[in-house]
Amino acid sequence: MLKLEINQRSWDVPDFQADEMLVWVLRDTLGLTGTRFGCGVGVCGSCNVLINGVPTRSCQTPTADAVGKKIITLEGLAKGTGENIKLHPVQAAFLENPLQCCWCMSGHIMNAVALLEQNPNPNAPQIDSAMNENYCRCGGYNTIRKNVTRAAEIAGGRS
Amino acid sequence: MKTKKAPLTPEQRWKMTRRRFLIGTGSLGVLAVGGYFGINEGRPAMVDAIEKSGASRGGKMPAPNLWFELKPDNSMVFYAPKFEMGQGIHSALAQIAAEELEVDWKQLTVRQADSSKGFDPNIMFTGGSTSVQDLFTPLRTAAATMREMLRLEAAKQLSVGANEIVALRGECFARQDMSKKLSYGQIVAAKQTEWEIPKTAPNLKARKAFTSIGLNAPRVDVRAKLLGQAVYGYDARVPDMLYGAVARPPRYGATLKNASAGDASNQPGVKQVVIDLKANFAGVVADTRTRAREALKFLNLEWDGGTSMGQAEIEQLVTARDGIGVVIKKRGNTDANILTGTQVSGEYRTPFAAHAHLEPLNAMAHVQATKIELWVPTQSTSSDIRGVQDMVGGEKREIVVYPMQMGGSFGRKGAQSAALEAVRLSNAVGKPVHVGWTREEDIQHGFFRPPSHTKLRGSLSSDGRINALDQVTASGDILFSVIPIPEPIKNLIGFDFGVLSGLFSPYDIANYRVRSHRVKLPIPTGTWRGLGIFPNTFALESFMDEMAFAAKTDPLDFRLKHVPNTEDGTRLKRVLEDVKTRSDWATPPESGRARGVAFSSLGKTLVAQVAEVSIFENRIVVHRVTVSIDAGLVVNPANAALQAKGSVVMGLSSTLLEKLTVKDGMVEQANFKAYPLLTLKQTPPRIDVNFLEGGDTPYGMGEPAIGPIGAAVANAVFALTQKRIRDLPLEL
Repeated sequence: MLKLEINQRSWDVPDFQADEMLVWVLRDTLGLTGTRFGCGVGVCGSCNVLINGVPTRSCQTPTADAVGKKIITLEGLAKGTGENIKLHPVQAAFLENPLQCCWCMSGHIMNAVALLEQNPNPNAPQIDSAMNENYCRCGGYNTIRKNVTRAAEIAGGRS
Repeated sequence: MKTKKAPLTPEQRWKMTRRRFLIGTGSLGVLAVGGYFGINEGRPAMVDAIEKSGASRGGKMPAPNLWFELKPDNSMVFYAPKFEMGQGIHSALAQIAAEELEVDWKQLTVRQADSSKGFDPNIMFTGGSTSVQDLFTPLRTAAATMREMLRLEAAKQLSVGANEIVALRGECFARQDMSKKLSYGQIVAAKQTEWEIPKTAPNLKARKAFTSIGLNAPRVDVRAKLLGQAVYGYDARVPDMLYGAVARPPRYGATLKNASAGDASNQPGVKQVVIDLKANFAGVVADTRTRAREALKFLNLEWDGGTSMGQAEIEQLVTARDGIGVVIKKRGNTDANILTGTQVSGEYRTPFAAHAHLEPLNAMAHVQATKIELWVPTQSTSSDIRGVQDMVGGEKREIVVYPMQMGGSFGRKGAQSAALEAVRLSNAVGKPVHVGWTREEDIQHGFFRPPSHTKLRGSLSSDGRINALDQVTASGDILFSVIPIPEPIKNLIGFDFGVLSGLFSPYDIANYRVRSHRVKLPIPTGTWRGLGIFPNTFALESFMDEMAFAAKTDPLDFRLKHVPNTEDGTRLKRVLEDVKTRSDWATPPESGRARGVAFSSLGKTLVAQVAEVSIFENRIVVHRVTVSIDAGLVVNPANAALQAKGSVVMGLSSTLLEKLTVKDGMVEQANFKAYPLLTLKQTPPRIDVNFLEGGDTPYGMGEPAIGPIGAAVANAVFALTQKRIRDLPLEL
């Protein structure tokens, strides 16, 4: 068995899946379908997860490469469960101003979480650079721009 | 033999409608009220006749497809008959229902209707910007009926006259004594007898009394999507499921001449290889997707025939010429006037384009002894159902469809879904099978926005007005490829209805003729957001600018000068004037920038746009897009604005970047490296949308705003560079 650390929990993956791309192991083997498949060639960014804090295309990451690293997926961002669940500030911003179909949303959220970890108050050009690598076919790019700023406000305790 | 029926009087209509409601009380004391939408008028009458004949009793009425359930604990569920693909339709429908139910929209839990809850897979369809406009009245009627039933029952329970009861925020009050009140749940809990549908139609609220319709209510589907809990089609999971992969032909139309499993059966994880030469089908079922896809490479397949067509040949076929095509609009005498005065001409071309919804096509099927279950992200399941019935032959098996959340669609998930592939594989292996396409399959093996070519000729009279306009459009099939019409009938009709979207110039032109030439290509084409509106508007509204230039008139004023003196003309003038003001049209933009305007309409929705552009390092940069829309009554302005902005961005992607080309019978671009989409940095930071509300009913919002952007940008580029670009994507 391969041991993966995902969302601060240990998960077992059969050895034969060592070469399979992480996106399929997350989605199909482990049922963590919050990580999306979009293109399989690392362009659209729908499959982004955080690996040791870095937004990473899980469609380009063999599962074996993720062993021993800390993986965070969309399911691991909120704290608590059920009624007491507390959204991550980036999730809270996207709840206020949602994208449309939201298939790509997880990937954008991962970029934003990583950006705000490094730079709690990014300016417009910094946001554009950090968020430019992912597609949104529904055309929600201006919502994404706005939500990163908004998430920074929420994280900083500003309402 | 069909005889033409006299139109129904309002009383008759209501009687029939009343007959079509279904009420269930049940042992749990649940009140359920449903209504019908989209069902052929004849069907309930037929059911009526069967029931009267004594052949059967009850249970034969088709289940309503609009459906509310109210429980004693005051919880209320609305089963929505429309599919969610990001347009926020479940929220909009909840707002409309809540309005007449007199409840806070938050009290309504919205669930997707499925086969067990009023979903009829033969008729349910979501597309063409129709959901809100088509459901606006049936949904309100069903909701108002339920409210009236609660109000009448409350009157009995509170022992006051029915006129004394007011329904408000999920409660019924006695008008004279507000302390006398019952929640809807309490009314249901205390009900002793059968519920009855009122004999008269409910009064619907007047627009000025609306409190829920028009509100920017938050979307009901987003929280689950943020937590990773929402289930899209690609996310569907059931115990014991397997994964399927299907072999694709190397050329469109190629058939499978010979096929054998080869070494595929021996590959790790492979459960079964499924080959059906008659169906041109070869697929693999395995325990993981990766293994199923890998095993495909070991099949021995011999493909035969198909097209070897290339791009040049296609463009030659898709060419509008004088004298070809079917005349579908004729006003005045175009031939006699087209060669007079100042003459202008232009030819415009748009390419094949992909939908590129980010969730690739997929479906899961579980074929069992007595039923077939399907989990499909779909805009319309009727074609799947027909296909499944054909495939299982005379076997009578119940087909249960679970419509899934969609990660975008844009017309693609309305036809040719992966459901049949999943059914075939599940049927062979006896277990649930999920088939999820790769991006390469999704781009190359779906269908495309068809290429178009439009030839326009115009003549201007000495007063600078358009005297005549001659328009010939050639296009691949749009709707003909997805609706089941026999080929001879298609040939008889001669033009594809889908081409009509955005085809006609809205301006006052005395002599005007439109011809449409249908080109049947061996490359699969079909519905794409807005059907013909994007290619047609690019041509028509670019040419409008060319004529304005020839007439030495400001392009926006030139359009205003040609507004017809009709009710539609008045509405057209309003959106043009609004976009003129809000885009600062009268004030020159900063140095190095220019603006362009364009207009289009779809159904009754009118959209005008102004794009402001510059050129940077030989690339077109769009800084700002101003959008003015008359979409009638807007149910949820925030969501409607997202539809408009999203349409602008998707249209801009087609305007600046997207082009599929065909080589040796196959689209050359297979993924986003060769077919890039617009990115965040390429998106104008300012897309301002304004709704000019008119009328008491909503029109469509999902597509119309994609129409004008191509021409608006091309016209702005001309204003900046004096260079007219007539092909999409725009290349300097």
